[in-house]
Amino acid sequence: MPLKIAVHEKEKGIFVVAPSGEIDTETYKIFEKEVGVILARATAIIFEFKDMCYISSMGLGAIFRIKQAMEQKNGTIMLVNIQPNIQKVFEVMKILPDNMFASLEEADEYLDSFLDGVQKGQINPKPPKSTS
Amino acid sequence: MSATQALEDRLVTRLEFIPGFLLKVEKFLEQFQLSQEILFQTKLALEEALTNAMRHGNKLNPSLFVHVRLAADKDRITIEVKDQGEGFDFMHVEDPTTIANIDKPSGRGVFLMKNLMDSVEFLENGCFVRMIKTFDRA
Repeated sequence: MPLKIAVHEKEKGIFVVAPSGEIDTETYKIFEKEVGVILARATAIIFEFKDMCYISSMGLGAIFRIKQAMEQKNGTIMLVNIQPNIQKVFEVMKILPDNMFASLEEADEYLDSFLDGVQKGQINPKPPKSTS
Repeated sequence: MSATQALEDRLVTRLEFIPGFLLKVEKFLEQFQLSQEILFQTKLALEEALTNAMRHGNKLNPSLFVHVRLAADKDRITIEVKDQGEGFDFMHVEDPTTIANIDKPSGRGVFLMKNLMDSVEFLENGCFVRMIKTFDRA
């Protein structure tokens, strides 16, 4: 199934990325490229996954890299409305348990708290791991 | 439905051929009226096996092939994937979920295969993998 991605800026620096279809061995590149376009301007990225029906390990890797890139500049990502089969994949891989939310409302609550923490200096950028 | 039915193919080592084969598999499995969960997990494990065979086994060499066979009967799906590479140390694949490995890309495919299928067996020095998914009809 082809991948379509809708991106819009909800408010300044807060982007909603809504993939529709499958993020697999081929389409993960499209996904990563589309998110790459907004990365520099994003403080937070909300991934609306209600129309994402499949993800492979390459897609998981892309999401993880995006998360790392955002954390390195004091940003965050949120994953919303994940379909049950895909939720299980995230749970098996133990990826991003703290970044998953059942609804946009829950994600918004977390986001308010996160941005408040950044403003107060309670949340700091995470440096990249040493590869040595 | 009691007889085993099988879908078999020989794929050129090009990653872009994987989605087309997975579509064939989805259509093939429609007749077995499986749950969405079983279909999803089978498809994902198969994609991971094919990607690994092409990327790591055959080193993305398009002159090499990946042989794949998927057989299904009343209570199980058996998938066999064979590459033409030199094999790998399948006994020592790192756990990608540990803190030390969480950001490493390698190991996720095999890990998913082992956690989504009921049995995963590597043979022929790692060039051949057999995976089985058992089920009750939906």
